[in-house]
Amino acid sequence: MIDPMWAVVLGVCLFTIGLWGAVTRKNAIIVLMCIEIILNAVNLNFVAAAAQHGDVTGWVYTVFAIAIAAAEVAIGLAIFLSFYGHNETISLDEMELLKH
Amino acid sequence: MSGAIDYALWIPVLPIVAFPIILFLGNVFKGTDAWRGRWKEGGTIATVVMGTSLGLSIWLIIGYIGQVTGHESVGQVGNWLSFHMVENGNLVSYSFGFGMYLDHVSVMLLFVASFLCFLIAIFSLGYMNSDPVNLDRNHRFYAEFLLFCAGMLGMVLADNFLWLFIFWEIMGLCSYLLIGFYYERPSASYAAKKAFLTTRVGDVFLLIGLLILWNLFGSLDFSVVWAEDNIAAVDAGTLKIALFMMFVGAVGKSAQFPLHVWLPDAMEGPTPVSALIHAATMVNAGLYLVARMYPFFASPAMSGEFTDLAILIAWIGGITAFMAALIAFVQKDIKKVLAYSTMSQLAYIFTGLGAALWFANTGHEEIALLAFGASMFHLFNHAMAKGMLFMASGSVIHEMHHAHHEVAHHDGEHEGHGDNDHFDAQDMSNMGGLASKMPITATAMAVGSASIIGIPLIGGFWSKEGIVGAAWKACLTPGGAWMLGPALLVLITAGMTGFYMSRMWFMTFAGKPKTPVANGVVEQTPFIPIPLVTLTVMTLGGIVFAGFEFVHWVADGHAEMHFSHVLSGIGAEMSHAFLPSGEENGGLIYLVTMLTIVISTIVGPGTAMALYGGRLQKGEKAKPWLAWLVSLSARVRKNNHFDNSTWANSGLAESLHQRLHFDAWYDSAMLKIVVPFANACAWFDQHIIDGAIKGIEYGSQEGSSVIRRLTTGSGRDYIMMAALGTLAIFLLIWGVA
Repeated sequence: MIDPMWAVVLGVCLFTIGLWGAVTRKNAIIVLMCIEIILNAVNLNFVAAAAQHGDVTGWVYTVFAIAIAAAEVAIGLAIFLSFYGHNETISLDEMELLKH
Repeated sequence: MSGAIDYALWIPVLPIVAFPIILFLGNVFKGTDAWRGRWKEGGTIATVVMGTSLGLSIWLIIGYIGQVTGHESVGQVGNWLSFHMVENGNLVSYSFGFGMYLDHVSVMLLFVASFLCFLIAIFSLGYMNSDPVNLDRNHRFYAEFLLFCAGMLGMVLADNFLWLFIFWEIMGLCSYLLIGFYYERPSASYAAKKAFLTTRVGDVFLLIGLLILWNLFGSLDFSVVWAEDNIAAVDAGTLKIALFMMFVGAVGKSAQFPLHVWLPDAMEGPTPVSALIHAATMVNAGLYLVARMYPFFASPAMSGEFTDLAILIAWIGGITAFMAALIAFVQKDIKKVLAYSTMSQLAYIFTGLGAALWFANTGHEEIALLAFGASMFHLFNHAMAKGMLFMASGSVIHEMHHAHHEVAHHDGEHEGHGDNDHFDAQDMSNMGGLASKMPITATAMAVGSASIIGIPLIGGFWSKEGIVGAAWKACLTPGGAWMLGPALLVLITAGMTGFYMSRMWFMTFAGKPKTPVANGVVEQTPFIPIPLVTLTVMTLGGIVFAGFEFVHWVADGHAEMHFSHVLSGIGAEMSHAFLPSGEENGGLIYLVTMLTIVISTIVGPGTAMALYGGRLQKGEKAKPWLAWLVSLSARVRKNNHFDNSTWANSGLAESLHQRLHFDAWYDSAMLKIVVPFANACAWFDQHIIDGAIKGIEYGSQEGSSVIRRLTTGSGRDYIMMAALGTLAIFLLIWGVA
């Protein structure tokens, strides 16, 4: 069996990549994908910890996280669609409504 | 003892319970015929309650006299307040109980308070209820009256200083409420505020003194703080500060120099309130407190430590006695004369107590106890006489008012009270010749004045001689040279008392009526004569009390009252008062005693007769026991060629009218010290405290306008900040761990 340590290291790498992408990219869809990567990095940690301790709780949380991520993607895409309908762009530079 | 003591708690509790009941009933039934008539607007309840309290007190006192000798604490009734504190790492628990402490002093004061409160309640039935001004608000008077009485009764019975202080404050509150009874008059509400605030100055000192005492002994129970071993264990200097603070409290309550200014203004209250404050309750509280300091002075461990404090007490007494008598010379208001007389007589008691404490502290226990007993006896006599005098003056004022209404009505003036403004029913220069029209009142007034003056064989004589003698003995004892001042002052004041009390009587009752109103006065109000006659008998019976060796009894915890030896007791007191004793300096003391008798019974009243005496109107006849006094005064006046107009117009008389400028000084001190201080406080509040708050507001406004630039509105920046923040927290925790 693979040492769970490697899974954690992979999780850290995925998290960093995802964060990097979420902060730097302009395209909203790519940012959404990066957030998915972050979530899956966390899931990986859960699974690794569950495997190490022989505890089923981590797996259960993972299943919840996947379900929530699916819902989040659906909502996120819906928002972008409606935003595109108004502004004909989904560039994050145009999204500055929070300032007001 | 067991029977009465079970009910003793009800003595103060009954009036306290009745207080809200009367207020409630009064508000519900106000204005109905039954409430005004049969219930006397609460007066009936008050009289019954005070009668019950008096009965319980007498029952308790008779049991006490019969069975107990010596000071006795009668059980803790309950644990009132307990709390725990950590001291030096240990958990210490303290508790304050409410119990009753009976000794000869508290028993005597219990009788004075309950007896006079009962009589004043009866007096009020006549005085308050027949005055239309008071209609439909008498229930307020009776309720507050009962609370006042409860305060005094509770204070006398309390077995620790904490409860003493609580009841003391209840009295302070009630004095405020009752002096300001006619709150629609600006002068009354001013007087009430003045009384409350002046006594408050003393009360703050008293509280500080009690806190120091508590710090020293860890308890405020009489039985603990008076225990010889406990007193020996504490620091004399600190204890002296505590005693001094407590004394200042007593000075405020008993209206002594320099906190005396409230007492004359307290006359704004209805007359029964004056009688209550001056005779039965309030002012006696301060004397009681000083009397309660006696064990500290008498303790051998503290011998010689507190002599200067005792001398200070005697000096305060001497100064006040002299000053008040001087101011009483020029007063025209009949109640004001009595007010200053109260101050003066209380000051006598302070001087006597000062002498007693001085003797106790220098190891002359026997003389100390005698002086202490004489002071307490004077308290008793003064309370009886002054209660009677105030009620008699109330009777005069009431009938003057009534007669004035009659006269005004006959002259066709409009009815009602609008005419009160330009006729002063309390001004003695409107009276005169009332001896034939108000025989009971005139007799009561004469006997009361005689007791205050110290006419031989009547009440106050026995005690006043004792006090003057004690002060002189103290100043003749080695080391007592400082007592010479108070001793001289009380001796001179004895003569002055004779003058101003006689002046009051002659101006009111002798001579021809000075106004048509005084001519129409008739003694007719119900209930008023009852307390007057009772107290006249009590005061005349002073010789019987003296025969009981009252002085020795009150002073010495181990003496029993000799009911069976009244006659021999009277003989002993007579020889003590009138014959030179064989003791050291006996000759000089004898001389002083005789001098006191001469100036107080002959010089003072003689001068008053010469200036203010006079024959009654033609056809008017006084009762035989008063007629000789009136005609004597007329004869003295006829042969008098003394003209006092230069005196009356002198600067001294003017400053006496201004009460020796004390009020003006205090007012200007207020203006110069308190007002700038208040302004400084206001400046501090507006600029420092408000400034700090406004500074915070301004700073956050400015700061937020800077921080606002960080809000780009772009989601990626927020994610970035959140990530960096998390990282920072993570690093922080990592660093700490």
